[in-house]
Amino acid sequence: MAKKEYDVLIVGSGHSGGMAANILTKQGLSCLMLNAGPEADYTRDRVNKAAHELPFRGFGKPGRLEHVYQANEYNANQWVDEKENPYTHDPAKPYNWVRVRLLGGRSLFWARQSFRLSDFEFKAAEIDGGGDSWPISLADLDPFYSRVEGIFRVSGRKEGWPQFPDGNFIESTYPPDSKTIQTVTDLCKQRKFGVSKMRSSAGQNGLASSINLLLPDAVATGRLDVVANAIVREITLDKDTGKASGAHFVDRHSKREMHVKAKVVVLAAGCLETTRLMLNSGIANSSGMLGHYLHDQIYGVSVVASVPEARDGKAPQGLMGGSAFLPRFRNLNKGEKRNFIKGYCAIIGSGGSAQPNHFAAYGEELQQKLDHYAGSCVSGSIYGERVPRFENHVRINRNVVDAWGIPALHIDVKDSDNELNMAKDSADTMEELFRTAGWEIISKTDKFYPPGYSIHEVGTARMGDNPKTSVLNKWCQSHDIKNLVVVDGASFVTCGWQNPTMTILALSMRASEHLVSEMKNGAV
Amino acid sequence: MAATPAVPALLAQNPVQAPAPGVGRAGGRGGAPTDPPKIPLADAGETSEGGRKFFTAGQFATLKKLGSILLPPLKGNIGAGDCDSAEFLDFLVGASPADRQLLYRNGLNGLEAQARKQFGKAFAELDAKQADAILKPLLTQVPWVYDLPKDPMKRFMYQVHADIRTATRNSPEAAAALANSGRRGAGGGGLYWNPIDPV
Repeated sequence: MAKKEYDVLIVGSGHSGGMAANILTKQGLSCLMLNAGPEADYTRDRVNKAAHELPFRGFGKPGRLEHVYQANEYNANQWVDEKENPYTHDPAKPYNWVRVRLLGGRSLFWARQSFRLSDFEFKAAEIDGGGDSWPISLADLDPFYSRVEGIFRVSGRKEGWPQFPDGNFIESTYPPDSKTIQTVTDLCKQRKFGVSKMRSSAGQNGLASSINLLLPDAVATGRLDVVANAIVREITLDKDTGKASGAHFVDRHSKREMHVKAKVVVLAAGCLETTRLMLNSGIANSSGMLGHYLHDQIYGVSVVASVPEARDGKAPQGLMGGSAFLPRFRNLNKGEKRNFIKGYCAIIGSGGSAQPNHFAAYGEELQQKLDHYAGSCVSGSIYGERVPRFENHVRINRNVVDAWGIPALHIDVKDSDNELNMAKDSADTMEELFRTAGWEIISKTDKFYPPGYSIHEVGTARMGDNPKTSVLNKWCQSHDIKNLVVVDGASFVTCGWQNPTMTILALSMRASEHLVSEMKNGAV
Repeated sequence: MAATPAVPALLAQNPVQAPAPGVGRAGGRGGAPTDPPKIPLADAGETSEGGRKFFTAGQFATLKKLGSILLPPLKGNIGAGDCDSAEFLDFLVGASPADRQLLYRNGLNGLEAQARKQFGKAFAELDAKQADAILKPLLTQVPWVYDLPKDPMKRFMYQVHADIRTATRNSPEAAAALANSGRRGAGGGGLYWNPIDPV
């Protein structure tokens, strides 16, 4: 029996795929969503356990998830199994590819920090002379950001700063800052660093995911079919037209191969899975740019200081607690001379404690130090922008396949002096702030996690106006195949220091609405 | 060996009985009971000993001694010597990748060699002052736990110290002590994700 041909095949069910399904089905299009993993049952699949009840007493199964620093024994089963779905890299160039294949993807577990990119990122080439600019500006994306922020119920404090664009925020109230945070804020003002509050998606019932904010409306239209455990192996093309015609996929359990037909294919599998699929399909790469410019953000750097008046449990009411958020404050002014381009944000928290690794001590001496410093600490860390570079790329490794016989990715990424200098600047800056406040520096490092750790990988199918230097146009359509659309982070030209989720959602919304108009007027 | 009774004899001793009225059987005749009794289960870690499988007797003795020095009972909490932390680490390291195994073996052997060189006896036999003379130079501050000391002995000391603390804090004995004390804190629980529709 001939099966249904869908208007749109959507590969992936996270934020970007969920937004595409939401928009496209509401506009009357029939959609099939294929998701590589199962649907989680939050009642059946989760149970409270004490650490000693776990097989490895909280350490986790040795060697199971070596690249997923976020993994612990409690959450190990939510991540993609690295043995089942391997990737490769040079041992000297580590890369942490952190994946979730459950229905809803990584939208189930994100930290919900919700920022817009600014024209410091969209127009990066003009600002810092490094890399390229996007073919769109903040003004192009502004209305879509506003609608996304409404759906996700983003809270934040409006500041009116160009590097930290305000949005459609729900009303938020903030408790008065503690004295330590006031001190940090005052010192930052003297240095002309803006201090704000974290912006975050409230979502609904503590969840701001595709499965509770986007997919239910799409399902309610009656125009969305969702198939779980469907691992897409190849995008198929029509022999006569060269257009995308559907996809071959493999059932996760039986390994049976299936094919689905669609008039349009939307890729939303996450930056690297989408790129792997296009590379394995041998499509959309007339530019030779597919797989290049992989970048994300540097996470890490740590400076910990202790506030003397708060030691030995003697902190007076109102001294400790709370946090300060410093949006990018470097390289905002023309002529600012630094040994790095682009910028970073800093997150400063008050009221924490020192940790055992902060001291060269053991036994009773260590315990005395931990007690002495408990609750007296202020700490800082950063999210910094990595520079997109052509040489940081992925390619297919034909010698390694996953459990379904699909060739794996080889990831080849290395940090440059720009990242190292940026990290050093941030550690030195926070140390200077804390010392000036009169606090004792307990620990300082300018080290940061390997590439990929931020789970904000973007850029491997960058958008642009020139088909010779970019994979997608400004509507996230393939330059080569107009009915192939990429709505995840692969389209980014630069990532900024900001969590990319709001931008991915806004781009997916914009691309999906453009696709509908193109289909209606027969252009696709 | 006693002879096995013939099937008809067994059936005669256990006649099939019709279900009592009102007693549910899912799926009708022959179906499974809807709510079989839940048998309470004990934790293997609370009832049994793991023993030593991976380390040599000498390495294990050094590890035990290290535990008692690095994490003695403090502030009402149990120490490493009050639970099976050494036995658990023997299991964990034995199940770990080769680089971790090598780090531990070389580290424990290194402590033993230094004890014999410096004091002419096994590390496990050192007094507190002697052990401190060996351990103190090997302790370093580690500001970033993904950038451990390059010196293998210092690296080992960081790792074994951290592992002993975790193994002790997450032991059944620590959980029991915490429950008995009525205090809240470490050794508690969390939300565990079961395997989700595994292949």
